[in-house]
Amino acid sequence: MTAVARRVATRIAAAGLLVAFVAASCSSEPESHDTRAHTDATSLGRPDRVIAGPQGSTPQFVVECGFSHSASDDPIVYPDQPGQSHLHMFFGNTDVDASTTVADLAAGDTTCDDSSDKAAYWAPALLRGPEVLTPTKSVAYYRPGIDVVAQDVQPYPEGLVMIAGNSGARGEQPLSIVAWGCGRGIVREALPPTCAEGNNLELIITFPDCWDGENLDSADHHGHVAYSSGGECPKGYPVHVPQLQFVVEYPVWGDPGGLLLASGGLLTGHADFMNGWDQDVLAREVRLCLHNEVVCGLSSE
Amino acid sequence: MGEHTLKRSTFRRPFVGAVLALTMVLAACGEERADDVTTSSAAPDETSGGGDTTSSVTDTMPAPDTTAGAEGVHNVPADYPTIQAAVDAAVPGDLVLIAAGTYNEAVNVETDDLTIRGLDRNEVVLDGEFELENGIRVLGAGGVAVENMTAINYKRNGFFWTGVDGFRGSYLTAYRTGDYGVYAFDSMNGQLEHIYAAGSPDAGVYIGECYPCNTVLTDTVSEHNGLGYSGTNAGGNLLIVNSVFNNNRAGIVPNSGSYELCYPQRETTIVGNLVFSNNQPDTPAIDVALLAMGNGIISAGGIRNDIERNLVWDHDKGGISLVPFLEENPNDDLPTKEEWELTCEESKEIALVDPGGALLWDSFENRVIGNVLEDNRSGDIIVASAGTDVSTLGNCFAGNTLTFTQPNNLETLAPCDAVGSGDWKDGEYNVALWLGEDRPPSVDWQTATLPPLELQENMPDAATAPAKPATDVPYEVDLDAITVPSKPS
Repeated sequence: MTAVARRVATRIAAAGLLVAFVAASCSSEPESHDTRAHTDATSLGRPDRVIAGPQGSTPQFVVECGFSHSASDDPIVYPDQPGQSHLHMFFGNTDVDASTTVADLAAGDTTCDDSSDKAAYWAPALLRGPEVLTPTKSVAYYRPGIDVVAQDVQPYPEGLVMIAGNSGARGEQPLSIVAWGCGRGIVREALPPTCAEGNNLELIITFPDCWDGENLDSADHHGHVAYSSGGECPKGYPVHVPQLQFVVEYPVWGDPGGLLLASGGLLTGHADFMNGWDQDVLAREVRLCLHNEVVCGLSSE
Repeated sequence: MGEHTLKRSTFRRPFVGAVLALTMVLAACGEERADDVTTSSAAPDETSGGGDTTSSVTDTMPAPDTTAGAEGVHNVPADYPTIQAAVDAAVPGDLVLIAAGTYNEAVNVETDDLTIRGLDRNEVVLDGEFELENGIRVLGAGGVAVENMTAINYKRNGFFWTGVDGFRGSYLTAYRTGDYGVYAFDSMNGQLEHIYAAGSPDAGVYIGECYPCNTVLTDTVSEHNGLGYSGTNAGGNLLIVNSVFNNNRAGIVPNSGSYELCYPQRETTIVGNLVFSNNQPDTPAIDVALLAMGNGIISAGGIRNDIERNLVWDHDKGGISLVPFLEENPNDDLPTKEEWELTCEESKEIALVDPGGALLWDSFENRVIGNVLEDNRSGDIIVASAGTDVSTLGNCFAGNTLTFTQPNNLETLAPCDAVGSGDWKDGEYNVALWLGEDRPPSVDWQTATLPPLELQENMPDAATAPAKPATDVPYEVDLDAITVPSKPS
């Protein structure tokens, strides 16, 4: 890390910690003892099983996006309110702040290896003590949902936003939606496992794959999308969209002690997505890769 | 996974059959597929009976093109401004013929049995300009042949087939690509020939996730890549013959791993290749290439490969190395010996098991026979594990011309058709040391120093040869006739 980067990181760390403390204290307010995952807003349903295993099992296209920047901004949850959010790590589109709208994304640049992907992806910062951990990269896997007829999958509508996972979770979330793992392995745990030396810790977030066909967002940012089950979308969500699995990779291995998400604790894993794809390219990849049921790319460690 | 597998078996094969029939009508070029490349004849593909005979191939039939030359020939740019436009207009059996020029295109192919051909290999150049992903990408379309052209500066691959039954790449040049030069994934029944590949951080040529692959790689030069050849979980009637792998970080590198399907890697026949100087420090390189650096032919957890009559020289590590692949974050437990017999499709049906820790994929039952090995400075042949008694792995060695092996005297310890004797501890090789060694770091693939791109051999009669879809591949190889090649002058 350069000296400048270190200084910036320290400053970010201080801000992040503050936010983390606030978030933590919020979530420790007296509450019902209901520790189900759905205490707070989440989308309807969950995947039928944890999506893990060798790549190549399922049609997919894959985009790797480097870390772009961090900010206590959330243009979905706190639009036009800079600094209101816990600290987020942004990937993909480089011009995202609290006032970003989906219409702005096309003008931005991207950290993704596919330059057609100008989507904004973000997840809470991971802290260790006072240090904000800079992710090594992120990987976005786009696949049909489990047992969904691949040819039924439609591209995301232009301007769709989604949040997966519950930033206010007080208990374990379904591993099929939020999990921690190591490298590209099969391990999925609710809390960060001890990864072997040199093997990056990963936060793995699986997004809804059904859309209501009308709304690009919803009041709680979850209600307009849902998870399929048995290959079918629930009533009211007639449109199959790709299942985005978003993986954030951290240069962390060994003892996970002292780790904390900026959204509070380690159970509040979540991620946000604003569709900023070149719509033609997105539609093309859905057709070429998913409808043809082929593997268009793989992510290696 | 079940869904995907089911679709494959119930839809794709009949579709291929239907297309085959159509091809024979249109181009009169349907031929038997050689199911076993080592024999001279094989039964015709009997998969077209019954089932869904999807008719989409006729949906895109263009209006008769009176400006085109011969029927079924689509000239670029004379008839169509882009390769993609010509490909989109073509129907199974057609020929897309590309005139000299630079094409800034990423071409996607979804139509079976096309032949896509450059008129001049060196002057038909697809240039990704470090912006585009793949030069030509064939997605699920069987029987597509790509011939006689060059792809440079693509962020992913020069030429890419994925999920296909039947593919051929002939007289192709791939230069300075971000992943692979020539790439076949989850594909079977293929022929890759007269390839030149340089400047990929991963492999110049990669064949992965197939068993049986029924594929031949021949008459190829792969140099200045991270890996000359890589073949994760690929094998079963897979031949790598009569080719040259030099000045990569590592030369020929089949390996096993549960990070992709169809493990273990097995049954690749590596015969008659020139493999030399794979210590190149200034190539782009993925981590595996760094780890394998300095080896000529290296099986990393490979099983039942035949490595015969290759000339292998000038390597810092092993000429031929049979070593383990350590998979620290596996996706499944090791397959049992019985499971080594399962086809790729069959193995997909086995439930995954979290092994609860790292996997060590050892190299079992490989045969290393009649190779000529010189100046491989850690051992002309190396056998090693990381905890397994290497005397139990069942590899054998015979008739090689060499100076020394690790352990010492491998041909006495484990001859191929006799009982071995001796001390496996004598000259035992510690492969774990590789993990801690410093290696020259990877170089950016976009700017790496590469040998200048020289003129490559053209295919014969590019302008006049008829369309030749990949419905008759792989071509027969007379393995017995292959002798140890001579050093280039």
